[in-house]
Amino acid sequence: MSTIRPRSAAGYWLALPAAAWMLAVVVVPIVLLVWVSFWGGRAFSTASPLTFDNYARFFANQTYLKLVLGTIVHTATLMVLTGVLGYCIAYFLVMKVRSPGWRLALFLAFIIPFWTSTLIRAIAWVPFLGVNGVINQTLMFAGATQSPIEAFLYSHTGITMAQVSLYTMMAAGPVVYMLNSIPPQLREAAMTLKAPPFVVFRRIVFPLTLPGVVIGQVLVFLNVMSDFATVATIGGNKHALLSNLVLLFYEGSQIRAASVVAVLLMLCMLAGVVVALRVVDIRRLGA
Amino acid sequence: MTVDALAASPPAKAGTAQGPARAQLDLELRNIRKRYGSFTAVDDVSLKVGKGQFVCLLGPSGCGKTTTLRCIAGLEEPDDGGILIGGKEVTQDPPWKRDIAMMFQDFALFPHMTVARQVGFGLEMLQRPKVEIAQRVQQILTSFEIAALADRKPASLSGGQRQRVALARAMITEPRILLLDEPIGALDYSLRETVMLELKLLQQRTGISFIWVTHDQNEAFSLGDLVVVMNHARIEQQGAPEDILLRPATAFVAGFVQGNNVFRGRMGEVLADAFCIETGTGTFLAPRALGAPPVPPGTEVSFSVRAEQITDQLSDRHVNRLTATCTAVEYFGSVRRHILERSDGEVLKYDQFGAHAARIVPGQRVTLGWAIESTVLHGRAGA
Repeated sequence: MSTIRPRSAAGYWLALPAAAWMLAVVVVPIVLLVWVSFWGGRAFSTASPLTFDNYARFFANQTYLKLVLGTIVHTATLMVLTGVLGYCIAYFLVMKVRSPGWRLALFLAFIIPFWTSTLIRAIAWVPFLGVNGVINQTLMFAGATQSPIEAFLYSHTGITMAQVSLYTMMAAGPVVYMLNSIPPQLREAAMTLKAPPFVVFRRIVFPLTLPGVVIGQVLVFLNVMSDFATVATIGGNKHALLSNLVLLFYEGSQIRAASVVAVLLMLCMLAGVVVALRVVDIRRLGA
Repeated sequence: MTVDALAASPPAKAGTAQGPARAQLDLELRNIRKRYGSFTAVDDVSLKVGKGQFVCLLGPSGCGKTTTLRCIAGLEEPDDGGILIGGKEVTQDPPWKRDIAMMFQDFALFPHMTVARQVGFGLEMLQRPKVEIAQRVQQILTSFEIAALADRKPASLSGGQRQRVALARAMITEPRILLLDEPIGALDYSLRETVMLELKLLQQRTGISFIWVTHDQNEAFSLGDLVVVMNHARIEQQGAPEDILLRPATAFVAGFVQGNNVFRGRMGEVLADAFCIETGTGTFLAPRALGAPPVPPGTEVSFSVRAEQITDQLSDRHVNRLTATCTAVEYFGSVRRHILERSDGEVLKYDQFGAHAARIVPGQRVTLGWAIESTVLHGRAGA
């Protein structure tokens, strides 16, 4: 019999600090949030009657519903872009860069920007995308355009460009890990079984990296859904996603409306993660 | 494992426009060479494999046998030299264009595919109709006695089962040559002998050439029609198993093959029917073939004598004699091996067969001898 006891009292004591912390900063606030979203009446107090009015008001507004749809489409776009770019980068790093030194150097080059905060990185895009920004200057110098293109900054394109740069490595990281864990003999075995390189990729490499792809997509999905900072700085006040609506309501002291949107946002994220986990058995990542 | 399924449809790939002489060969290596930086992995290796031959590449780890196999598969491109499969030049061809299949040391099964799916993979790549693939997969799984595993994934299989799946996956396309990289090295000892016999029978029935890489001489000598001994990226000797056992061409081969006693010395006087070789433990005679001595007197040479050719019951025939001290006696089945220390400190092995009582015990000093014809003079001093 094993001397390792899976259910010793010490185990529970070790889990206690983290559990208490999570309870205080995650579980309790979420419960409060959900509670507040059902508050009715005019007074903002714990004595408020519980009602669905706040939700009804949200769903009755076409603009809000369009915003939900817009957020989902925007997130899906980001997932596709970062997924494709991230896979290419991961494949290049693992399969094409032979020297371990170069691989580390390149990986660091990709990772180092993550040492600064999301907000700073988002703001850093402004001088690039603006009317007199680097991109427009370059395009005009090259003669590609006569007048500066205004579509970059304070536009949906600008938001997308900035977010792609922010989140591509999140999509790439798990794929790097999965690609690294594929023994080279598997690809060689497929080749000796008459599979040309693209078929080896489609039938062997890609299916084996799928859990990494899904995890990367979950990371991108969660981050884009909750990213209000990039949208606010790059999009000006012209563009908003669900997360910006939370902020808008909150700043307008409409706490109950903010709670409704926050709850809906969380439900969307939860649904997304559940769908992702249905597609791929995430536990295989460790195998 | 029965092999009827494969035997029923032998590969019909005999003589083509290439002419009969070339079509006889399944594989030809012409002076292939492979370097990694300053390290030479394969050096000037030439080999001819006839139709349906069982070839074993034997050697210590790092001798270049696996690199040679990978060059044949197309997984490595030789820096120099040519590779012909079935008389066709394939040196520049990628693996998927060569008429080969390969079985990897750890089997390299695809973890995400069921047994049936991965056994059928090769046929799928050849774009055979689905019905035919299903049929042939069923057939080969049945003949390999793994039909019950068709829907399982590799993670849930035992080592022996994986080995069969890997073999079925490689054999199903009926390649001209099957390359096997230590194919039974990952199996339990108890399984190896059975699997070896099965594979030998399978090879004989199907007529597919097997190129089998191993560091285990028992495997090589019991399976190979042709045994190729490699060391330091080069072929030391190639020939039938008994050739290599009884007439090692170099000191390396003699030392690598079990049961040889290797001596190094200088060529001495040349007699009418024998060479005298002077060593640190005395002068020994080797038989002189017709013609001149292979090396001038004074040159460094080596020779070997098999442990079972030595005797302690000396007669006039046993002109080569030396005295040594017994240090240990070991038993291998019906063989009793005496380990002795020669006067120069080297080890001497002396085997007796049969179950008679031991005449020599540890600590005893004995004089042993062997006949001239038991001395095998090596072609060169060797590595």
